[in-house]
Amino acid sequence: MNLAHLHLLLNHWPIIGTLIAFALYAVSFLGKNEDLRRGGLIIFAAMALLSIPTFLSGLAAQAWMKHDTITTALMKRHENAALLTLGLILVTGTLSLWGLWQTYRDGHMAKWATASILLFATLTVIMVIRTGNTGGDIRHTEVREHPDAMVTEGTFGSIVHAFEPNAAKFGHAMSYTKWCTAILMDLHFVGLCLVIGAIGITDLRIMGLAKVIPLKLLHQLVPWGLLGLGINVVTGLMTYIGEPTDYNFDAPFWLKMGALMLLGLNAGVFYLSGTFDHIQRLGAGDDAPISAKLIATSSLVLWVAVIVLGRYIQVYSHNMPLPPT
Amino acid sequence: MAIPEFLNTIEQSALSTWIRETDSIFGFYFVLLLHNFALATLVGPSAFIDLRLLGAARQIPVKSLKPLYNVITLGIALATVTGVLLLIAYPTKALTNPLFYFKLLVIGFGVATVYRLKAKVFDNDSMSESEMIVAGKTMAKWSIVLWIAAITAGRLLAYTYTHLLYGQGE
Repeated sequence: MNLAHLHLLLNHWPIIGTLIAFALYAVSFLGKNEDLRRGGLIIFAAMALLSIPTFLSGLAAQAWMKHDTITTALMKRHENAALLTLGLILVTGTLSLWGLWQTYRDGHMAKWATASILLFATLTVIMVIRTGNTGGDIRHTEVREHPDAMVTEGTFGSIVHAFEPNAAKFGHAMSYTKWCTAILMDLHFVGLCLVIGAIGITDLRIMGLAKVIPLKLLHQLVPWGLLGLGINVVTGLMTYIGEPTDYNFDAPFWLKMGALMLLGLNAGVFYLSGTFDHIQRLGAGDDAPISAKLIATSSLVLWVAVIVLGRYIQVYSHNMPLPPT
Repeated sequence: MAIPEFLNTIEQSALSTWIRETDSIFGFYFVLLLHNFALATLVGPSAFIDLRLLGAARQIPVKSLKPLYNVITLGIALATVTGVLLLIAYPTKALTNPLFYFKLLVIGFGVATVYRLKAKVFDNDSMSESEMIVAGKTMAKWSIVLWIAAITAGRLLAYTYTHLLYGQGE
């Protein structure tokens, strides 16, 4: 098994998930159905998270491909589309989390949030379709419009193409000097402190430390933790794109991405299992239920794993089997 | 400028050589990892307190955050121990880099600010919540600035050294 398998395993999920989330979100306006809207927002956020390893494994999968002229051109087109999609899906996911936060805090979403989610979700839908199509073209000769020709664009493709970035140029800009990497890594550490300051402390409080802090109020700090996570997703991805081959054959890097996905799952369990509702009734001195303690412990363990694995990325680069040349 | 001989003496010592060259998993990168954890344990809760004093999560009582100083102190202790070990491993690399002295200076001010904030605001039980915020605001701002400066200086040490070991480099 190699990372091309991982890409094949992951790549349909963000497309189908985004389409389902979009449908739920759009339908929620018809019947003013808050539950459907919430469901849509949660799936958008989950797809944003899942799109990270999907994108990364795609760049890694390239290494196993036969680099003839047509394949290289098709992969380049797919990569450019994927980079734009990744940006859009991350924006949509972030806005969705912000919308969920507003709903929790104020009981409803602000108009600008509702409208901007609709806008970015629409753009994301267009781009996941484009990315899926251009990806399919690489391997499936039977769906190409002109099987033996170079890359061709229909009406839809040529319009979208005008907006797509050049992934290779973008990558070069990220690693133009060592100072770009240095600044990105510096911000990565600042983000880490925000995550541990907000989410790590919340985990410790749930586990039983510093019980004088009222548990239900501690949740107000979550946006700061998410800001830290956001800084780290962006700076992490930018560093990766600068030098993908430094990370593609690196076991700690992929395990770190795995831990990140499990953290997403952990957060999903926390908010959707009723544990969060229970926590919201607890004040100073109250002990959290055992279910919350388990979730908090696994969150803290996974964050520690993220830090450990991140630290060892540099040490173990190129420790995975390389593709045949 | 000649590099002082004592740096070479430290580098040749058994401990320094062991941290740099051992095949054990507890060598250099493990110490560096613990230094990272120390950073998160120290700056994370400190930033939490600073943000609260500057207006984030207004409903959380400032007083209730006092136990976080135990976590911060643990972080400072771990950072000091692991920092000294890292310095023993690469004394020439650190001590020939002006940025390293800047980092030490900023950390000194940072730690002083953290404990001054504790003494002036958290150890004074007679203060009301609003008095605590008024008294702590400026120190909270400085604390954030100093920690970001310390992280930046620390991070950049990996990119700015001129001599990795004694007798190497310029």
